[in-house]
Amino acid sequence: MSSDPYSAEVRALFAGPEHGGVLDSPLCVAVEDQGVRISLFATAEEGIVTGLRFQAWGCPHFIAAAEAFCAESEGRAARELLEFSVSGLMQSLSVPVEKSGRILVLEDAVRSLGSIVRGTSKH
Amino acid sequence: MTDRGQMIYLDYAASTPVDPWVVEAMTALMTADGNYSNPSSTHAAGRRSVEYIAHAAGQLASLLNTTEDTLVWTSGATESDNLAILGAAHYRRERGQHLITMRTEHKAVTDPFSELEKQGFEVTYLDPDANGLLDIETLRAAIREDTQLVSIMHVNNETGIIQDIQSIGALCRANDTLFHVDAAQSCGKLPIDLEALPVDLMSVTAHKMYGPKGIGALYIADRKGVHVEPLLFGGGQQRKLRPGTLPAQQIVGFGATAAIAQSRINEDFRHLTVLRDRMWAGIRDIPGVTVNGDIANGFPGILNVSVEDIEGESLLLALEPLCVATGSACNSKSQEPSYVLRALGLSDALAQSAIRFSFGRPTTAADVNVAIELYRNGVGKLRHLAPGRAA
Repeated sequence: MSSDPYSAEVRALFAGPEHGGVLDSPLCVAVEDQGVRISLFATAEEGIVTGLRFQAWGCPHFIAAAEAFCAESEGRAARELLEFSVSGLMQSLSVPVEKSGRILVLEDAVRSLGSIVRGTSKH
Repeated sequence: MTDRGQMIYLDYAASTPVDPWVVEAMTALMTADGNYSNPSSTHAAGRRSVEYIAHAAGQLASLLNTTEDTLVWTSGATESDNLAILGAAHYRRERGQHLITMRTEHKAVTDPFSELEKQGFEVTYLDPDANGLLDIETLRAAIREDTQLVSIMHVNNETGIIQDIQSIGALCRANDTLFHVDAAQSCGKLPIDLEALPVDLMSVTAHKMYGPKGIGALYIADRKGVHVEPLLFGGGQQRKLRPGTLPAQQIVGFGATAAIAQSRINEDFRHLTVLRDRMWAGIRDIPGVTVNGDIANGFPGILNVSVEDIEGESLLLALEPLCVATGSACNSKSQEPSYVLRALGLSDALAQSAIRFSFGRPTTAADVNVAIELYRNGVGKLRHLAPGRAA
């Protein structure tokens, strides 16, 4: 017996990843682990994230999580990237627990991006 | 572009719609004004049910070119496989306990063999070649004096590859080894002549050929040394091989299904060939796309393709509203690549990207055109979204 493994939100985010793509910015990070790959690109001004884009290779939940992160994080304080946790996305997207490992790759990538953004702003 | 809300079913290898004529034939045996009686009853109504069942047996026997008394009704191919493998192994246990099958068989075959291993039998699992075919010399080398049963499927459910059951059966006969064939994917779709084929046991099912779910049959050759021990007990029906009240309406449905299949088997084959070739022609130029199996030796109702550097689960979702099967033993809890495709030598990544398109009588060229467009768009979208690999 099977049921729909994807929530309506996951389907919508996967179908139209508006933040999919790249930015011409030195603020970028690439992570490959747990069978998934992600690249994150950011622009920031005065401690605020002004733009985010992603490229991702992985399951629909992973792609949806990446899109949701980008959509929610534009306009927020760059320092929040350093404390980013996927637990909220795991809940809101109803990510199956067996996919936790690959979703955590997003968390690692975002925190790495946060470090790069912070390093840049210090200079 | 199609209406995305409209489902396009290309999963006919999983199951098929029931032919309306079959539904009509079955309904006549279920309602109060029909013939719903128990065929084990000795009264007139019961005897009438027996006549219906005998007629259906004749229809299936005609499709397979055998006699009615070689057929045992079951609940489907899984039960037929279990009855054939467990039943034959147990019946011939005193002669030897070595059995042979392939790594690419359906779970309905490999799991009974696993069960027999727990009971002390020794099982040799043969590898196919890169296209999925069994090399007859591989089988010849594996057969031993104590080999009692060889089980090889006719058409593979994932790749559509057609095994040479004539040659395999001849080798088994020469070595006094029983030969069982899981024909769930071929019955009613490819010509099967059991008078001519050296096959001892054959599993068939109705729901893959426009019949109802819940009914299948096991062919047991009328030949010395060919027998199975029953798995079920009680009632004594079907010569005690598979007791239980016969589901007359299901059996009549299977009979009607067989009669329809026999009348249009060549027409169906041509239709499927056109659709399969159209699908492959529409996607074969996509960089990195490959056929799993072998089109030249494959059943045209199935086209299994992999594509490089595409995540299979995302591709499956990107293909909606197509209803197709993935190459993974896929559900949200298991993304294990298909063991069948891994046995063909595919990497985990390629096996995980596999999509099985399977076509049927209702499939149209327009359906295939949509499938082509969705596949091309899905691969393109996911590749556009994917980051490059680190050097």
